[in-house]
Amino acid sequence: MSGLIWGAIYGLAAGMVISLAAFIGVWGERKIAGRIQLRYGPQELGPFGLLQTGADTLKLLLKEDITPAAVDVRIFRVAPLIVFAPAAMSLAVIPYAYGFAPIDTGVGVLFFVAVPAISVVGVLLAGWSSRNTYATLGGLRAAAQMISYELPRTLSVLPVVLLAGSMRPLDIMDAWQWWWIPLTFIGFIVYFIASLAEINRVPFDLPEAEAELVAGPFADYSGIRWAIFAMAEYGGLVAASLFGAAVFFGGYLGVPGALGVIVFVLKALVIALLMLWVSWTFPRMRPDQLMATAWKVLTPMALIQLVLVGAVISWL
Amino acid sequence: MAVNATNDYPSGAAGIFARVRSLLTGLTITGRQALRPVGTVRYPREKVVLSPRWRGALRLRGVLGRDEISVLSAGPPAYNALIDGLYRENRLPACVGNCPANVDARGQGYLLGEGKPSEAYELVRERNIFPGVLGRICHHPCESACRRNYYDEPIAIRPLHRHAYEEYRKVADERLKPFTVHHDERIAIIGSGPSGLTAAYDLMRLGYRVTVYEKDEKPGGALYSGVPAYRLPREVLHDEIGNLVKMGLDLKLGVEVGKNVSMHRLLDVYDAVLIAVGLQESRILPLPGHDAEGVEGALPFLRAANWKGDAGVKGLRVLVIGGGNVAVDVARCALRTGATEVRLACLESDAEMPCHPWEIEEALDEGVIAMCSLGPEEVLVSAIGSVRGMRMRECISVFDEKGRFAPEFGDEYTDISTDVVVFAIGQAPVLADVIEGSELTLTDRGMLPVDGTVFTTAQEQVFACGEVVTGPGSAIVSIATGHEAAESIHRYLQGQSVTEGRVVRPVPLYEEYQPALLDGVEGERRRVTVPMARPEERVTDFRPVELGLTQMEALGEAMRCLRCQSEVCVGCTFCARTCPDYAIQVERIDDPGQRRVTLYDLDLSKCCFCGLCAQQCPTDALTHTGQYELTFFHRDLMVFDCDEMLRSGEGTRATGRDSGREGNGEVSD
Repeated sequence: MSGLIWGAIYGLAAGMVISLAAFIGVWGERKIAGRIQLRYGPQELGPFGLLQTGADTLKLLLKEDITPAAVDVRIFRVAPLIVFAPAAMSLAVIPYAYGFAPIDTGVGVLFFVAVPAISVVGVLLAGWSSRNTYATLGGLRAAAQMISYELPRTLSVLPVVLLAGSMRPLDIMDAWQWWWIPLTFIGFIVYFIASLAEINRVPFDLPEAEAELVAGPFADYSGIRWAIFAMAEYGGLVAASLFGAAVFFGGYLGVPGALGVIVFVLKALVIALLMLWVSWTFPRMRPDQLMATAWKVLTPMALIQLVLVGAVISWL
Repeated sequence: MAVNATNDYPSGAAGIFARVRSLLTGLTITGRQALRPVGTVRYPREKVVLSPRWRGALRLRGVLGRDEISVLSAGPPAYNALIDGLYRENRLPACVGNCPANVDARGQGYLLGEGKPSEAYELVRERNIFPGVLGRICHHPCESACRRNYYDEPIAIRPLHRHAYEEYRKVADERLKPFTVHHDERIAIIGSGPSGLTAAYDLMRLGYRVTVYEKDEKPGGALYSGVPAYRLPREVLHDEIGNLVKMGLDLKLGVEVGKNVSMHRLLDVYDAVLIAVGLQESRILPLPGHDAEGVEGALPFLRAANWKGDAGVKGLRVLVIGGGNVAVDVARCALRTGATEVRLACLESDAEMPCHPWEIEEALDEGVIAMCSLGPEEVLVSAIGSVRGMRMRECISVFDEKGRFAPEFGDEYTDISTDVVVFAIGQAPVLADVIEGSELTLTDRGMLPVDGTVFTTAQEQVFACGEVVTGPGSAIVSIATGHEAAESIHRYLQGQSVTEGRVVRPVPLYEEYQPALLDGVEGERRRVTVPMARPEERVTDFRPVELGLTQMEALGEAMRCLRCQSEVCVGCTFCARTCPDYAIQVERIDDPGQRRVTLYDLDLSKCCFCGLCAQQCPTDALTHTGQYELTFFHRDLMVFDCDEMLRSGEGTRATGRDSGREGNGEVSD
């Protein structure tokens, strides 16, 4: 029983964290995109246009919740939640501060790389239940992409697990040494790229391609349900940044106590910023390039990293 | 900074290095970009205020069943101003604009459709005093201008005139009332043709006493002596003229001005005199042999055929020279009076023939042989002085580049053997006797100088109208001149200036329609076919060729009328048919007299604002408002129903349910 209550509290907290992250993330993204394109970005509502996202959220909430006549209604309605929930869940195992992770489990790393894979199901269902060719094809493409990038992503965090000798995030943090950064740098790059592809961000947003494919699996979604998909994307971005900052860059280490959270968030922020920067720099990839990158570049790179770390461990 | 925009990277480590470098280059570019000062201006702080009662891009001005369609009705002097005003506002129906007398064909269609044929007849009679006659013989410029040409086929306006007359005849005695006389002046009109009687009718309406002098024993002028009975039964003509007499016309038959009564006396007794004698004399070309026995003019031939039913051609071969309507009439009369073979020779090629195409078509059906591009050269005379044939010369072209009549002949001659030659190449007025005793003089060519717009002559008291002024033409043109002459006489008698402040009837140009594609056009959209007697049967006598419409056919045809420019939607569905997005749904009830639009839905969620619907709307009921901004709380509100479409100006609430079918009408102004 108490587990359920705690779960509900964690869920609420995760939802709020993601909402806040999305709130700031959308604003930040628009600001950064604007600056890169020599524009101002949002500027009218609130200081520096900070409240613009609030207005947009309000608009999305107030918009008519369209359920097309032909869709499979129950699946259509539940699909956004199936996409959103794993993104929120994966936040639970991240070690935020010294000795604190909301869920302290021995298979934390496995949990983190496995749970977001559930959202593949959500995306597939969203495309399928829309009963429309574009959405279905978009869903299939998105699923293919997400499943392909699971492999390099999982492989890329293995070296850290090897070095720490544990899958428990708090154990990893305890074992963490500064020289792991250069040692696992290739792994981080693979993790970074695979995470971008996992959450379907530019330059890997080809299943979605809003302008050309009417947002792929989300073609028939509007209003708040569509917004939940967008929030899941930001949730994935936040989770990937936090987890990356923790396992590859030592998370809260370096500053004692609760202040470490600030360091940790700053590190994650840098990674998130990098993701936005990449998004607004590179053009979208072709599907064949996408698959070639996953299987011919990232997977071998992750394996090389693994071998490298294995060699170093045996030498230690 | 070198930017490498290629996928061709070297192989091996160098390639990997180059790839990483290009990635970093990209990030550097965008990174530097982000640090540069912003290039755009700040957005101006501006508030756009959208009215919650905003109108939407399309609106209806009126709809059948709710709004009445106005009929064009005004007294004789005001009618021109009414027509001119409507024309300037672009609210004149094309059929009315194209009619020389501006007969309200739209109003006729409306009233017939409402089941009021007598009112329709009286409306038409205001401008066209013989709806029954013109309903049989008019060359219907209205139908050529009918907007329906653009969609499928024009309305059968002329047969509807005839139908209205036949319905009116049943109740004529109840409805006919003499006009009250409230002016002392008296007017004499010479000639009881269409123009003279039109002027008489207008002047009687204005309250004058009118006397018409006719030299023949029966009234009607050219309608009586020229138009053959198979096109115009005499009882129809004389019934309608009889109606005029019942309305107070003083008709003196068998009185020839210049013989039985002098012009001088008319000028003494009457305050104004109108010469409307028409054209009396057929022109005959002064060719060698033109005075031989068997050479005739068209008018004497037609008079003989019409009055006696015998033109003296029984068993003979007839050659008609000329290609106009009169020539066709002569040819068809010749067939009916027993000619064995009738040929029609004209200068023009078959495409250029000046007669109406349907006339020559009916003549060809009856067995007339048309010989085109032949000019008369010489009448061949036999030893006993009668006609034995005609020598014709090939004609290469009739008109020069400027469109003037200047025939050019070739070198090929054809001899046509025939017993009778009838010249139908034009008519001339005979005026010398008529004007004797007045101050008028004729030109060298025997014409009377007349002002072509206000129909005044050199003598203030004398006016002239009809074919004396216009030359050979159609009945409806003569009627139009009669209206104008009546207005001039009225102004003269009231001491006003004839020209000052007068609205000259506009002569608008209406587009010529290409024949519409009729593929896939539903049967009920097609024009009614006027039944005709079979050719082999009808050539034997002077019975009417055209048979009338039945009541149901006439009702259906009146329903087809689109009520152009009335600004009242008649549910013609052409907007729905035009819409590329199928955004419009129209339904209507077609029951006679109850026709109304039952459904008009515009789905703004489909509308692409192209405006094609409003562009083609024949009634101009559907208009573009030029307001494109709109917001809705719910998609259902995006469907504008009829009430919403009818809401005027900016007073439409697009954001809440209107007071329409849902009936929760909380409209606040």
